[in-house]
Amino acid sequence: MNRKRKSGMERKMERQYFLIVLPGFVIFTIGLIIPTILAFRYSLTSWDGLSAEKPFVGFQNYVNLLHDSNFLQAWGFTILFTIGNTVIQNVCALLFAVALDSGIRLQKVYRTIFFIPCLISSVIVGFIWLKMYSNVLPEFNEIFGTNINFLLFGSSSTVLPGLLIANNWQWIGYWMLIYLAGLQSIPAELYEAAKVDGAGAFSRFKNITLPMLAPSITICVVGITTGSLKVYDLLVSSTGGGPGRASTSVILHTYNTAISGRQYGYGSAMSVSLVIVLLLVALIQVKSLRSREVQQ
Amino acid sequence: MKKKLLSLMLGTTMAASLLAGCGGTAAAPAAGNAAAETSAAEAEAPAAEEPVAEATAAAPDEAVTLTVLAGQSTTDAGIEDMIDAALAEKYPNITLEWECVGWDGEFHPKMQQYLQTGVPDIIIGKGQDVATYSSLGILNEIDSTYTDRVLDAANENVTFDGKIYGLVYNALYQGVYYNREMFKENGWDIPKTQEDLQAIIDDCNAKGITPFASHMVDTWSIGNVTMQFMMNDVFNKNPKWGDDFRAGKVSFSEDADAQTCYQYNKLIYDNTFPETFSLEQTDCDAKMVLGEAAMKVSGSWSIQNFLDIDENFDFGIFPFPNQTGDSKLIFEPNIAIMTSSSTEHQDAINCVLDVLTSDQDLAVEIYDYTKTAPMLKGVTPTYPNPSQQDIDKYAADGMVVDVNLGNNQLVWGGFQDENAADIAAWLQGDETFEDCLAASDARVDASSSSTN
Amino acid sequence: MKFKTKVKKPEEQITPKKYTGGTLATQIVMTVLAILFLLPIFMVFNYSFKTKKELYLTSALTLPSSLQFENYKKAFVKLDLSTTFTNTFVYTALSVLILAFLCGMTAWAIARCKGKFFKFSYIYFLVGILIPYQALFLPIYIIGYRLHLTNTRYGIIFMYVATGISFGVFLMTSFMSTVPTELEEAARIDGCSVFKTYFRVVLPLLKPAMATLIIMQSFQIWNDYLLASLYVSKKNLKTLTVVIQSLFSSQTSDYTTAMAAIVISVLPIAVLFLSLQKYFIKGMTVGAVKG
Repeated sequence: MNRKRKSGMERKMERQYFLIVLPGFVIFTIGLIIPTILAFRYSLTSWDGLSAEKPFVGFQNYVNLLHDSNFLQAWGFTILFTIGNTVIQNVCALLFAVALDSGIRLQKVYRTIFFIPCLISSVIVGFIWLKMYSNVLPEFNEIFGTNINFLLFGSSSTVLPGLLIANNWQWIGYWMLIYLAGLQSIPAELYEAAKVDGAGAFSRFKNITLPMLAPSITICVVGITTGSLKVYDLLVSSTGGGPGRASTSVILHTYNTAISGRQYGYGSAMSVSLVIVLLLVALIQVKSLRSREVQQ
Repeated sequence: MKKKLLSLMLGTTMAASLLAGCGGTAAAPAAGNAAAETSAAEAEAPAAEEPVAEATAAAPDEAVTLTVLAGQSTTDAGIEDMIDAALAEKYPNITLEWECVGWDGEFHPKMQQYLQTGVPDIIIGKGQDVATYSSLGILNEIDSTYTDRVLDAANENVTFDGKIYGLVYNALYQGVYYNREMFKENGWDIPKTQEDLQAIIDDCNAKGITPFASHMVDTWSIGNVTMQFMMNDVFNKNPKWGDDFRAGKVSFSEDADAQTCYQYNKLIYDNTFPETFSLEQTDCDAKMVLGEAAMKVSGSWSIQNFLDIDENFDFGIFPFPNQTGDSKLIFEPNIAIMTSSSTEHQDAINCVLDVLTSDQDLAVEIYDYTKTAPMLKGVTPTYPNPSQQDIDKYAADGMVVDVNLGNNQLVWGGFQDENAADIAAWLQGDETFEDCLAASDARVDASSSSTN
Repeated sequence: MKFKTKVKKPEEQITPKKYTGGTLATQIVMTVLAILFLLPIFMVFNYSFKTKKELYLTSALTLPSSLQFENYKKAFVKLDLSTTFTNTFVYTALSVLILAFLCGMTAWAIARCKGKFFKFSYIYFLVGILIPYQALFLPIYIIGYRLHLTNTRYGIIFMYVATGISFGVFLMTSFMSTVPTELEEAARIDGCSVFKTYFRVVLPLLKPAMATLIIMQSFQIWNDYLLASLYVSKKNLKTLTVVIQSLFSSQTSDYTTAMAAIVISVLPIAVLFLSLQKYFIKGMTVGAVKG
């Protein structure tokens, strides 16, 4: 009797929990999942995005993708951009955080300064750095009589570093704050105990700071990676994907193909491929980083 | 328990209605528009069956709101207010609801959206868009009452199957802008042939002057000048080159003339600012005005910049010399007004067309503001344009050609702009010339402007 | 400030950090870096006060001869600030509030229920973080149009919620493990329904995580360009970023005005966030540090 009532109660609870999840579930499905399914459906057609007919072509678009050198080049750029960002941004953000946490004066002022750029929309950041490289920084050559090449957006070999600088300028402060928060929540006793045990500064950093920061690291790494793979806004108002195609990201290329190039079906195949890659990358990252967190 | 569930639901509903209320403050007109759009889209079929209203430009008795999508260049932004003012004076019942987007990146995506759901009553694009959208059957023929007020030359390339689908309002001239003073000082004559041009370039280099101003950071500028070259070296010999290209008769890899056009880009690249791939148009134009470069292959959109920086800057224009020495100045129909075939307000649309084509003050105001050449008969703008005397000379000699001959055969989006990216990559040394040509050939399927 | 001292307290009691030579070196390095970070911002301000002629004829580093507010006046008009600012603010505020409420609820249910549906839901929501909605804009538009969401305020808010919900659920779920279940169980034994438990017991505990979520999503939505340009095209519904973008399209001849517009658009959110910095950092801690 008692048992039966309990299970009935549980079922009821389960139903209530279900009702709680439902609204979010529905909104999410309509807003994002159905469009994704639609995109997949379009990716099996040679639709131009304009006319009424959407001729079915099967997986032909995907086969073509593998031979499309421009598409592969876009992937090349996107991957380099992502790796560069993930490494530089994480390392810099962590170093900045450690430096600010080292007891220097005016910590709040620095924090504010480094943080301000991320309040600016990426579209604007791209425009700002376009002007920085072409107009402002070269002036320093005149002042100091140096001959540094600041025209980073102007050549295919330097456009990637140029964009990395712009992107890092925008986001380091943001991730720095997360690390800073993580650092400040580490109990000082741990360091004291390690000091007593005779651990050096580096070993304390490696054995206490890093493990204790593991949750922050997960958030930052996954956030930066997926964000970088989706880069688009930054390029629109800075390089526009150039010079040539040197800074064309996957999304930018998809956009150009589907919209300006009026190959909507083909472009959809590109976005579907990007979705799949993003899913895989993030799954792997979360899995491996989370398992490390558990170990600690 | 049930009571609680009920209260929660009530709470949710209240929250929802609250939200709706918040939106509602200004949503009233918006909701009205959405409804209007829907009904327009749904009414597509019956509207098409009705006889097209006679273009008498009879003012509507009731208030009518027309939706307008305007794909603008920066130089056009602002003309909507002028049109609104002129319209309010003559047809106060008609209101235009403007949606102004950049022609460069937003106009076509917006059109794609609307093609799925119903196009606005009036669409303002560029001359070359008429070919694309008329082939989809979404445009109405423009009544001859209005097209008769437009120069015949402008109507030519917006005519399909004998019907005119776009009202061309103004035009841009394209060619080589040159610093008149500098040409006088150095005793250079207007170059007619490649040899003439090369002589000037050599003299420039000897004197430490940069021959060409350019801003290759904007890939579109490479695409733009390449089409200028193509007009005078390819399309002048074979006006059906684009169609032949799709038929497989000619190709970039095999056509020496087409290759010469690509090579002209190299000529410019070798004789321009070293920072051209970092230099934006405004900065480039400033250098030109400050006398750092002698020439610039460009279009009328530079005039505004030139005169903004120095109102006394004296410049002229000549067509980029081709191999045969018979280059024509290029003219490009710019603002083109198209009308939806599924509209419910053809009368009101005609009223708008009437204002646009008959209001001389409005026309002068727009031409002065955009610094463009008029396409309406008998209208003369009053803005200073030092290059006008050159334009008049070429026009009088019949040495002017409409670039839409080329643009209609080789579409801009997906073909010309993509080729330009390859040319940039080639100039940067990231791609061989052969690969660059082959890439253009591989894009043959995307080269047609009509979708059928 | 309060928060900081609370964390630092035990440490400071044991050994307050000494200002050593190393600290001084760090201070110098960070000062140099801070100056470099401020350079682009200096440029924006500097340009925004220059006249067009000064822009071309003087060096980018020289200060304007006089403080020209002409550019600001022009930008103010061009941005149609009273409308666009209100729009952006309303969209952002409502979206983040709904998001916080919805995500808290969803994440809690997912964390507490072990049923298959809930496990599936978690993965299902997570997938959304990775879907680049930028690439899906045409289907997103078509769906929105069919549901009469385009060119309405609630439509754009709906989309912000739909695209932000994944991250919110992710953040909230990872926070959920820090919420003790004892209180919930006690409430349940007292006969509270799931809903009542949530509102009475759980919701107050989620406030810090919600703060983080609200802050993080506010950025995204305030600075969003793509969805806004997709869903609202009528002049009276446009947002700040969309209007500002049109100021620096490729043929812009007027980037002194664009720079002034940048200042105008960034200033409100900068002031807001800087004055709320305390809460902001508090919120970040919650997201980043478990337990």
